[in-house]
Amino acid sequence: MVKVDDYEIPEGLHYSKDWFWIKVEGEKVRMGITDYAQKQLREIVFVELPAAGDTVSANTPFGSVESVKAVSDLISPLSGTIDQVNQEVTSKPEILNEDPFGKAWLLIITPSNLNAELGALMDFSKSVDWHKSLIAKG
Amino acid sequence: MPRRIVVVGAHAAAVDAASAARKADRKAEITLLTAEKYAGYSRCGIPFVIGGHIRKFTDLIVYPSTYYQIMKLNLRRETKVTNIDTKANVVETIDNAGKTETLEYDNLIITTGANPFVPPIKGRELQGIFTIRTIDDGEKVLQAIHQGAKTAVVIGAGLIGLEVAVGLAEAGIKTTIVEMLPQIIPTMLDTDMARDVQEMLETKGMNILLEKRVEEFIGTDHVEGIIASGEKIKADLVVAAFGVRPNTELAEKAGIAIGETRAIRVNARMETNIRGVYAAGDCAEAIHMITQRPAPPQLGTVAVKQGKVAGTNAAGGYAIFPGILGSAVTKFFDTVVGVTGLNEYFAQRVGLDPITATIRGLTRAQYYPGAQPIKVKIVVERELERVIGAQIIGAEEVTQRINAVSMGIQKQMTVHDLAKSDTCYAPPLCETWELLSLVAEAAIIKLTR
Repeated sequence: MVKVDDYEIPEGLHYSKDWFWIKVEGEKVRMGITDYAQKQLREIVFVELPAAGDTVSANTPFGSVESVKAVSDLISPLSGTIDQVNQEVTSKPEILNEDPFGKAWLLIITPSNLNAELGALMDFSKSVDWHKSLIAKG
Repeated sequence: MPRRIVVVGAHAAAVDAASAARKADRKAEITLLTAEKYAGYSRCGIPFVIGGHIRKFTDLIVYPSTYYQIMKLNLRRETKVTNIDTKANVVETIDNAGKTETLEYDNLIITTGANPFVPPIKGRELQGIFTIRTIDDGEKVLQAIHQGAKTAVVIGAGLIGLEVAVGLAEAGIKTTIVEMLPQIIPTMLDTDMARDVQEMLETKGMNILLEKRVEEFIGTDHVEGIIASGEKIKADLVVAAFGVRPNTELAEKAGIAIGETRAIRVNARMETNIRGVYAAGDCAEAIHMITQRPAPPQLGTVAVKQGKVAGTNAAGGYAIFPGILGSAVTKFFDTVVGVTGLNEYFAQRVGLDPITATIRGLTRAQYYPGAQPIKVKIVVERELERVIGAQIIGAEEVTQRINAVSMGIQKQMTVHDLAKSDTCYAPPLCETWELLSLVAEAAIIKLTR
């Protein structure tokens, strides 16, 4: 794990420019929002997630996350079918601020087009560079 | 088709308006327009950068560009709005490359702020005369200091004038403050409280001249000083803090009604006289909760609250803005000055009969190291015996007392409620008897004797 400015970026994940991380776990993929995203949103008070069995499409909103001041669509980095939805996040949205890469994962999906779609995502080092460019831009 | 919301402006009121609009309508197209290079920064922080408390002006930017990305807000910097057409529902813009554009809107939010006002005094076109509103303004002042300015005159002892004067003094500049009225911070403090602040500033080496009318800026190309009430005061730089005027030019041209305070007239939903057009922040009026009259608040805290209400309504939601009490706080060197509601002078001016009480105390138990003096004045309306204002000066523990009184005033708290209020205590933090309760008791005695 490295820190760019105040933002954590763990190794071993892939990242989208819509503030998502993904972790390939065998046939499945776990996903959630990044530390950078949760820090920009600040105290998260509401999360709207789809149900298990629904499908998600790459670059398409599937839910939203809301803080006192801000709101953001959750834009899926991959296409696939949802296996598990993290109910703990919907009942305790504040865990997104506490542990965005850990217990506040959002979905586990079975990806339908992983190999092709993975290429559009950033690996760890690209993500570090991208975060640095965000900080530089101010 | 998604609702199109255009926000004219991109600072305190604007960003809160746009954020609230996004929360109320997840699909709307929301565009913010500013002529400035920087958006979403704290203007209130500028004097504290001059004073060296904040490293650099760009640290004042509250919202990084990714905030707008996450919120899907379309921010356009260096894009000036040149015209608003409320019949055709369009705004016309010109960017810094000279490219013009016409943007259609369904709902418009005007957050054009206020501009520093410099009266037509001889010599006002000279170089080295600064007003303080933008980061550019602040940078020019710092540049003048780096180029060797050693002395400054600040014209106007209002909040901004004094904050900048203190900042200049902290930057090592020998600073003179010139005020036309017989006291400093005339819109906030009564004369007795203002005198305390003035004495403190003078012990810090600041030169304060009251009842001086500025007659001329002197110098050939570059300002070399001023003449005020016949007296020549030399200075390497001059800050003109006469006050600000709501920036209503675009709105007026568009037929939007201006109120008696020269700011844009709005209803409780921050809507102007033209349906679907809202205004918020320094360019808009607010109703004062005690006088029930429109007032131009010109405070960042009001701007963000009004912006939130305007944004929610512009996006089809429902929100109202209940009004203002003019609660304000600032820090000069190590002294905090706070105010809420009406002071004695303004209470009398609007026809109320005020009783006041003042009390001195300490910010911690008297035996606890570091206890500092603090002074509280309250203003009570004689017939209903309600608290209508407070002024507090102290090294610490001022801000939240002001907020507590402000909330009490909004709930129509009487001086008896305040005297009997349940309060906290621990030696490192306050005295056993809360000062607000003691000052309320003092006022009650005056009411009953």
